Amino acid sequence: MHADFRAPRRRLRVTEELEAPLPLSPRERSHFRAELLNEHVLVCDPEHSQKIHDQGYFGKGVLSRSRPEHGISDQWEQHDGVFLPVVSQARYEELLKWAGSALSAQGWDEEAVHQALLRLSQPIQMDDVRNQMGGGEEAEENGERGEKNLEQEGGVIPQKKRSRRGSEVETEAKRSCSSDQDSDSSSDCSPDSDPDPAPLVPGPGFLLVVSDSEAGGGVREVRRTPFFLSEYLQLSLEEAFFLVYSLGCLSVYLHQKPLSILQLWRTFRSLRPDFVSSYAAYHHFRSKGWVPKGGGGTKYGVDLMLYRKGPPFYHASYSVVIERADDAFRASPLRPFSWRSLAALSRITANVSKELMLCYVIYPADLSEAELDSPVCLSRLKVQEVIVSRWVSSRERAEQDDI
Amino acid sequence: MADQNNTDDKGKFYSEILSPSELFAARSRSHKIPVRGQKDFFPDDSDEQKRRLEQSLNEHWSLLSEERVERLGNLVKGEWIPSEQIVELQSPAGKFWQTMGFSANGKQCLLPEEALYLMECGNLQVFYQDLPLSIQDGYEKFLSANTVSLQQYQVFGHLKRLGYVVLRFDPSSESSSYARQLNLPQSRDRAGRTLKRKRSLSPTPSSTPTATCSRAEAQEECSTEKMEEDKCNEGEEDKKLPEAQSSADEGGGRSWWMTDVLGDSDKDSGHGSKSVSSCWDFSSISFPDLGSTSREHFPGGLAPPDPSLLPGDLKVGFCDVGAWRQKINLRQVKMSASEQKKEKYRRRWDVNKNREVRRCRNWAEYQELMARRKGKREGRPAHLWNREVTPLHDPTQPIATGELLEKISVTKPTHLLEGASRLKDADDWRICFNVYQPDTVADFKKSNPGKPYSRMCVCSFDDPVPDLRAIKLLAYQSGDIPVVIAVVDYGDISFYTFKDFQLPTDVYP
Repeated sequence: MHADFRAPRRRLRVTEELEAPLPLSPRERSHFRAELLNEHVLVCDPEHSQKIHDQGYFGKGVLSRSRPEHGISDQWEQHDGVFLPVVSQARYEELLKWAGSALSAQGWDEEAVHQALLRLSQPIQMDDVRNQMGGGEEAEENGERGEKNLEQEGGVIPQKKRSRRGSEVETEAKRSCSSDQDSDSSSDCSPDSDPDPAPLVPGPGFLLVVSDSEAGGGVREVRRTPFFLSEYLQLSLEEAFFLVYSLGCLSVYLHQKPLSILQLWRTFRSLRPDFVSSYAAYHHFRSKGWVPKGGGGTKYGVDLMLYRKGPPFYHASYSVVIERADDAFRASPLRPFSWRSLAALSRITANVSKELMLCYVIYPADLSEAELDSPVCLSRLKVQEVIVSRWVSSRERAEQDDI
Repeated sequence: MADQNNTDDKGKFYSEILSPSELFAARSRSHKIPVRGQKDFFPDDSDEQKRRLEQSLNEHWSLLSEERVERLGNLVKGEWIPSEQIVELQSPAGKFWQTMGFSANGKQCLLPEEALYLMECGNLQVFYQDLPLSIQDGYEKFLSANTVSLQQYQVFGHLKRLGYVVLRFDPSSESSSYARQLNLPQSRDRAGRTLKRKRSLSPTPSSTPTATCSRAEAQEECSTEKMEEDKCNEGEEDKKLPEAQSSADEGGGRSWWMTDVLGDSDKDSGHGSKSVSSCWDFSSISFPDLGSTSREHFPGGLAPPDPSLLPGDLKVGFCDVGAWRQKINLRQVKMSASEQKKEKYRRRWDVNKNREVRRCRNWAEYQELMARRKGKREGRPAHLWNREVTPLHDPTQPIATGELLEKISVTKPTHLLEGASRLKDADDWRICFNVYQPDTVADFKKSNPGKPYSRMCVCSFDDPVPDLRAIKLLAYQSGDIPVVIAVVDYGDISFYTFKDFQLPTDVYP
């Protein structure tokens, strides 16, 4: 007996528009690049992350809720014709302290750190700002330059949150650092990848510091931003593999060397033992045109949440639990259920107006280990979807609903 | 019913018949059900709370301990027959006969669970060996492994009290799997779909390769062949012919043709499907360019070809091509100056002058070279495309989303009934009851109940959750009626359904 398909519920306030269902643009021929670091797949280039996220809703910014949109400040003001982010004095001092500790962590002695910070916190003239911005063409600039009150060298225009990429700001002190290439994703002082310590880096590099004394009429001073803040897009293993294998638009690099599809498959399998099942399910849902998101699953106790078009448009329609089954359909459950846990999960899912779906990945009996070592084995797997729902005996009396 | 007049402590005798005063007391009992008060969330040790709780509890206890009073005349009498595990009615059945019971040997009979239910309702009195059975006796005797279990009875009672009609499920009364198979929808087979998309190539006749094949046609078939190259045998001649012809226009002497194909083109005999090529050295075999404008090539005509190239006993003499050359159009094409310049450069450019091209020994290697170059140019990196496993889709190719989704679907969807027929029956998962909706009671006919609303399978809360195998078994047993699993937790019953589902493909422009 088949379950009925219920149409997804649209969100009340939809502020975005869908760019494209998948990050493919044959005309531009863009090929994306990601790094495999510490068992995570990260996309560092802001343009790539923007495209990958907004066309298909892959991945999540490491410092943000969904797309990478973390900036040095949420407030922006216009100051002498240039938009700058605004931070309070206390916050600015905190940022300076972080920059200092990052420098000392790199082995600088206290005096040198102190000097560097002093240099850093010099007040800046607006002309310097303009010169620097005019020289540097930042990658963040959108085509939305048609903003009336902005000059030609205008900085980033923060009309909506989404138009701001992770603002990349350079450490002034970085110029003297022969910094190592430790690119841990969430460290503040991660240097960017260009080798020459050019003074100009994409991004304004300046901010407005408001002294704490008065709330509204604080004196605003322009200062350099103490450190480089760049945010990466993190892709789950399934998303990364999908982009590489199914669409061919991403390459994953490990230690600066690109991985072939087979190598990537084997690496991911070694990182996660049930990667084949979770990837098979992910691939199945993507090839139906739905957007499966993994991170949201931990909020609801399941593996995947299925969205139509993407999270900003519709509420998730299904919570998916992935199970594997062999040829005789006996499950070797990745997560064994008891009636108690199933009842709990069913209740939670119903409370958030979603439907609980069990997705069984069925492995044929003659699938050898060697075959499993290549993504070609996916074509031999079958996927069975089962919807679990609770039937209320007393309610059904009144309505003539189908079960 | 306790006889309140008898206050004798020893030898308490309980008579079932009530005295008038008792009867009156029973009749005028309040019918109020104890109301559930407001919830308190923690004990605050106050007297008020204690008092409230006690009062509530007392009400509940008194309700439970009430004995029910029935008119003897209203009770239908039945007799329990353990050998057949049914209850035979001794007096005519009441209203319940519409949905419960059956006739056997001219007598009205009830199933044990129905009988117990009616006893609890106060409609039936069952005798065994001339003694009336109490409810406790009923539970003990009627519920066993041969009839229904306690949990199944609890579900039965629950549903009956809500008004549903519940009948026992008889697996043999269901249509056979074959009969059901005739009504099953087609299984969605991915292979079938890809087969449909394969374009059938029209076979080119091997006898007239040159004249009939236009270049455009050849190109088209080349591209379809690329798709099917992995699937066809290499030795199939007809498909390779147009490919070879497209390069045949420009005169002879190419050393990287498919050697086995051209070797067969002259012969009309059955071509072998061997992939091993006969080594023709095309640098020594000259192919006359009959379209060439220079007159030196053909002083008088064509010399006969080398007899070693000819099959069998065929003898070919001198060929006068004068007449032919008169027929063909050797006039210069009228072109504008720019076109003439372009034409000059085009004729000067010779793909053979490229060193890399010269290194290719056959057509396959040349294709590889072209692919490599294309990859470099268009950003199809080698580490993805030049390995054993390539991406499913080339991002440089424009494609509509719907087609793309179909292209990348490699996993196959399946439905519950697939493979279910070969599953052996399990003891643990059985369907017990057919459930019919309460609104149909008026028209309900026991002899022809029609399709049930759902089927019940009962299990305990401590039992394992059904795995895919169990779900498939139940679906197979049931056919197209949904199966509801009733989970009994010491009297509390929850119902769950596991339904087959196919997520629809979502393509939005």
